[in-house]
Amino acid sequence: MIRFMQLGISALLMLLVASWVVAAPYDSTYVPRPTADFVIRNAVVYDGTGLEPKVSDVVVKDGRISAMGVDLNLEGLQIIDAKGHWLTPGIIDVHSHLGVYPSPSIASTSDGNEATAPSTAQVWAEHSVWPQDPQFALALEGGVTSLQILPGSANLFGGRGVTLKNVPSRTVMGMKFPGAPHGLKMACGENPKRVYGSRKSAPSTRMGNVAGYRAEWIKAVEYKAKWDAYDPKGEKPAPSRDLKLETLVGVLDGEILVHNHCYRADEMATLIEISKEFGYKIGTFHHAVESYKIADLLAAEDICSAMWTDWWGFKLEAFDGIQQNVALVDQAQACAIVHSDSARDIQHLNQEAAKAMTAGRRMGMQISGARALRWITLNAARSLGIDNETGSIEVGKAADLVLWDHDPMSVYSRAQQVFIDGYLYYHRDDAARQPITDFALDQLVGGGNE
Amino acid sequence: MSKVKSALVLILAWASIAAAAADVAIQNVHIHTSSAKQLPEPSTILIQQGRVVALGPDVVIPPNVEIIDGTGKVVTAGLVEPHSQIGIEEISAVDSTIDSRGGEHASGPAFDVQYAVNEASTLLQINLVEGVTHAVTAPAQGDDVFAGLGVGLVLSGDALIMRPKLALFGAVTARSAQNVGGSRAEVITHLRRTFRDLKTYRQQRAISGPSYTVAYGTHQERSYSKIDMDALALVREQGLPVVLHVDRANEIKQVLRLAAEHDLPVVIRGAAEGWKVASELAAARVPVIIDPMNNLPTGFDRLGARADNAALLDEAGVQVAFTVSDPHNARQLRQLAGNAVANGMDWSAALRAITSVPADIFGLSVGRIKVGEPATLVLWNGDPLEVTSWAEAVMVDGRWIDSKSRQTRLFERYRDLGAGKERGFTYQ
Repeated sequence: MIRFMQLGISALLMLLVASWVVAAPYDSTYVPRPTADFVIRNAVVYDGTGLEPKVSDVVVKDGRISAMGVDLNLEGLQIIDAKGHWLTPGIIDVHSHLGVYPSPSIASTSDGNEATAPSTAQVWAEHSVWPQDPQFALALEGGVTSLQILPGSANLFGGRGVTLKNVPSRTVMGMKFPGAPHGLKMACGENPKRVYGSRKSAPSTRMGNVAGYRAEWIKAVEYKAKWDAYDPKGEKPAPSRDLKLETLVGVLDGEILVHNHCYRADEMATLIEISKEFGYKIGTFHHAVESYKIADLLAAEDICSAMWTDWWGFKLEAFDGIQQNVALVDQAQACAIVHSDSARDIQHLNQEAAKAMTAGRRMGMQISGARALRWITLNAARSLGIDNETGSIEVGKAADLVLWDHDPMSVYSRAQQVFIDGYLYYHRDDAARQPITDFALDQLVGGGNE
Repeated sequence: MSKVKSALVLILAWASIAAAAADVAIQNVHIHTSSAKQLPEPSTILIQQGRVVALGPDVVIPPNVEIIDGTGKVVTAGLVEPHSQIGIEEISAVDSTIDSRGGEHASGPAFDVQYAVNEASTLLQINLVEGVTHAVTAPAQGDDVFAGLGVGLVLSGDALIMRPKLALFGAVTARSAQNVGGSRAEVITHLRRTFRDLKTYRQQRAISGPSYTVAYGTHQERSYSKIDMDALALVREQGLPVVLHVDRANEIKQVLRLAAEHDLPVVIRGAAEGWKVASELAAARVPVIIDPMNNLPTGFDRLGARADNAALLDEAGVQVAFTVSDPHNARQLRQLAGNAVANGMDWSAALRAITSVPADIFGLSVGRIKVGEPATLVLWNGDPLEVTSWAEAVMVDGRWIDSKSRQTRLFERYRDLGAGKERGFTYQ
């Protein structure tokens, strides 16, 4: 056993060393932690794809799902008997500000909005993330295994978002989801026009917003042409780099996914026109409280909507928010996601999905719990471009798993065990499996001072 | 399908009888009265002329009473939100719809929100259809120690305001400390001085009679104006609860000491670290109004926040009421209670925390189902604390309320985009 552990540790060290050496600047240095192969037996499994849950065994080898079903060969596997429990894929939040708006929330930790110019596409949210934000551990307790950290919405172009694995790490690179594309945060509506209009600068109107996006995309297209024409072997010097336009070109090249904060249906439609003018794709409208008014358009354009369940009325563009938004978008065969945008609600996205389902049922719509679970797993993974890797319990995918003590569609359900790439990062009954941030030490509940 | 149908039938029936005082019996239903009396399950509730006439397993139903089959359903009292801005805040970011904040000159103990309560607020019906029948509407807590006076509201009917000048609201937080010099010690001193001054003020006013008009406050640096002192005096004259937002354990203890010195009917709101001083709160019989889902250490007043705060406080014998911080979503009250249960609180105590306890804190005679009292209740299609159930029907003072709200109308407008297109209000 000791020998096995030593082997494991040296393998881990080698991997770590390798990743330090190989990783390009800013790249992920995350390496899955080695763990014994195991099987979770007899749980009711929601696979995240929308299929009805059924009792099944799930085998994890080398941190990945290697088999599922009944009567499997379990030789050599550690057994976790999960009879009476529910198993789901790890929850994914496509819209979070953990780390950039951490707790405690004070001026010196407020790092989410570079509200100094309408386009700050050059900033990267990951360079504000404080890995010691105690809210990461709380989100883990809620079953969140992956999350996208976005810049705020003060600007037309807010900067790059980053997708993280919800693992304890001394560096943000150690949390970055390997291979996940960057996001570009864009924002329409009240926020940019309010922030800059109040400073008597552009934009101060919604038409000013639209002119602002277009002007930047024109620059990006020109910049891309310059670089496309550049021949590294030729004699002409390379064009000078522009961090801002590099991000936008990443979108034009399809390497960076657009995450567009937008509330009103008519504005979403206008943003779609802009994407057509410049030849890029909008991946996901965030907040999207009026998606239900144009669900057919969003389905036709293959654009996801990331939504709250019951937030409304905090500003005029959120006044028409209804609890059936998610259900109506889903019914129209458009990609529906429940997001949090909140350090509180990220801890119970399963309840938010359940409430959205219930709101639809209340009005006579037929929606299953399995369908609702997809809104916080596979659809979310798709929005982040990580659906080949996670978001559902399918053979070959990462073993990002949550074991619940009740049906996750119940308010009484609590995550008992949370696995990321097969490693048990959280166990409700084992203090040794509950991450403690530095800030928590001797200060916060769980930090050793109760 | 049959479930959906029966729900629809119920909704239709509900719509047709809306606004008429109902003579109705709900049979075979689980009734949670929020009072000490536990009813056998299932039971019957009989309502006549707007009042609860009988409760129990063997109720005889007179003729001409409509009978509703409550099999599998649950009846509770209407939910009570003990700290909101319902009626005085419509759209948070639109100043012209916000009446919860006093201006520079109006703020202070005398700021009285009763004169701005908007009967046409969409928040009333949107929360009401989901079972929230009553709310305490309070001034928003800004930077001041005292925010002002709140009102008790019933969210349905002709007279919205049940009781004006219901309680005095204030805060002992890092934020309110900023306003009196920066130290939390200053807020405590400020409060102590204010209540000592109040004693002198009332003595002087009593001597001079009702025409007492002498400008007050010359001998104290931070005294309040006469109208503010008159508002503070209500605490003495009418036993008005003093609801203070306090999160840190130390300041809760300081406030308890102050309350004992001045015999103040104090209520602690927030109480993020209440669990640390739960036995002191219980001994002093000081109730708390908390958000059991706010477990975030978002500030240095609340580093000790935890998800089982409600359970620990209840276990220690503290009266616990729940509040949703967003008035648009007072309807989340039952989700708060459900989470409190998931984190160890007794189910009945959690239900009381959104019905009878908030009503008791403010002396409102609502929040319980009681024979002889006006019938204010919610018929749920399952466990009311569960996120998969909903309010099928809501009765206030013996009348079924309309089940529609602005939000259900928006839903109907867009539920079938094909039909909507013909009427020209969807994307073309």
